[in-house]
Amino acid sequence: MKDIFKDVMGITGVHGLMVVTNEGRVLLSRFSPDFRSEGKKLSQINWEPFTIEMNSIKDAELVYDSARFYIKKSETGFLIVIIGDNAPISMVRLNCEILLPQLSKIQPASKRLGNLLRKKIF
Amino acid sequence: MRPNVLIVDDDQAFLRLIQKDLEGFSESFNVLTADAGNAALELLKKTYVSFIVSDLRMPGMDGFEFLSIILKNFSDIPVYMMTSYDKPKTKEVVIKSGAAGYLKKPFTAIELFGEITKTLNKKAEGGSLHNVTLETFLQLIEMEQQTSTLRVVDKQEERGGVLFFRNGELMNARVGDMQGKDAAYEILSWSNVSLSIEQDCVFQEKIIQGDLQAILLDAMRVKDELAEKNEMGDDAENSEILLDAPLSEISETEDASAEAKAEPLVDRISTQRPETTAKVRPIKEEVELSKLSPIDTIRMKIKNSIGGRDGILDIYHDPNWDALIDQVSNIGNAFNCGRLNVLYVNRDQDDQFIIIPGEETTAISILADAPWDRIIDVLG
Repeated sequence: MKDIFKDVMGITGVHGLMVVTNEGRVLLSRFSPDFRSEGKKLSQINWEPFTIEMNSIKDAELVYDSARFYIKKSETGFLIVIIGDNAPISMVRLNCEILLPQLSKIQPASKRLGNLLRKKIF
Repeated sequence: MRPNVLIVDDDQAFLRLIQKDLEGFSESFNVLTADAGNAALELLKKTYVSFIVSDLRMPGMDGFEFLSIILKNFSDIPVYMMTSYDKPKTKEVVIKSGAAGYLKKPFTAIELFGEITKTLNKKAEGGSLHNVTLETFLQLIEMEQQTSTLRVVDKQEERGGVLFFRNGELMNARVGDMQGKDAAYEILSWSNVSLSIEQDCVFQEKIIQGDLQAILLDAMRVKDELAEKNEMGDDAENSEILLDAPLSEISETEDASAEAKAEPLVDRISTQRPETTAKVRPIKEEVELSKLSPIDTIRMKIKNSIGGRDGILDIYHDPNWDALIDQVSNIGNAFNCGRLNVLYVNRDQDDQFIIIPGEETTAISILADAPWDRIIDVLG
């Protein structure tokens, strides 16, 4: 699982990435050592209102004073990459484009459990 | 002199290798190399380059950033991207970004040679003219409403530039890294020129406003002034002869044998940014930004930075985005990354917007192929 994010996390200036479901649940988050505490705060916020507002997007970029969030929507939810000013944004976009089909491998835990139960029962 | 082909890669060993491999084709073109995007851009300001091959992954300025700068400032130069990092979507993304082609590393010198010659031949598909009168030729293009890219060489000063026409209208011009009307005046002030014609134009929108006739008149005035000045210096001998020669004489004056000897003149040029020769400029309207409304200020800011090809459909205040802005501002606060300056949203139906928070939220609706990343850089 970690491997599919390795390329994005390896790009200079990428502070972290998250996968948030369409319902606002944080499925996964990875942050570089310098941004772990900010990443932790980010993982704890209520993402549901954000996912509602972002429901109809394909991708988005949010430009803040000292960081940029690149957001790409997939069936699984939202891939969010947090980058600094010095990051090669085009490279991030390209890697996310490549990464997106693999996101379907990540499923919410309840869905995985459901699949498992169905297998056992039937 | 042969066309210049520029290869950009941070891998010095690769550059040495490819330069050596391409030595066998030195009769067709010169190979220039740069080990970084910035070094390549510096070189482009001074040297006329006909074809660029750039690596995708480079430290500092990566291939995409380099490509976007070329598309903005040297849009007539075809750029091929190369990478050893070939994934299924890479080629699609590269071509979508505006590259003329894509090469997967490793490739052979023959493969590269094939791509270069194919592209260079296309650039002169409409033929070449030597010792022509530029003014007359341009009037002909206007009359026939032609779409073409004219590569112009000033043979006296060994410098070059490009004029872009769409349906007979002068869309843009470029000399080195100078674009727009100034570049057009510069080119039109040259007296002894050669042309090569490509039957295509990269510009869809008109960067140079105004009628060609008016621009030509201004340019001729500049040229006359220059000639007077030169006469004082006793070295303006032939400019008048070429200035008014009719087009029919152009082909007659073309010396077939000389032409046969002539190499593609467009590529002969060193486009070291010429000293400004134009002394007369139309009066520009100066608008004080402070007197403009916020929407007009945004419009002006984008226009000044990007020009006419900004792809903007509309700019308006739209409170419908406020809830989204609140949400993304909260996220920014949680990550401690400061104020939200601008956001870009690409929606399902390819509706694209750039949103600027403020007392009144401003929405900019843009075309699908608008240079949105450049716009957010300007506004961010």
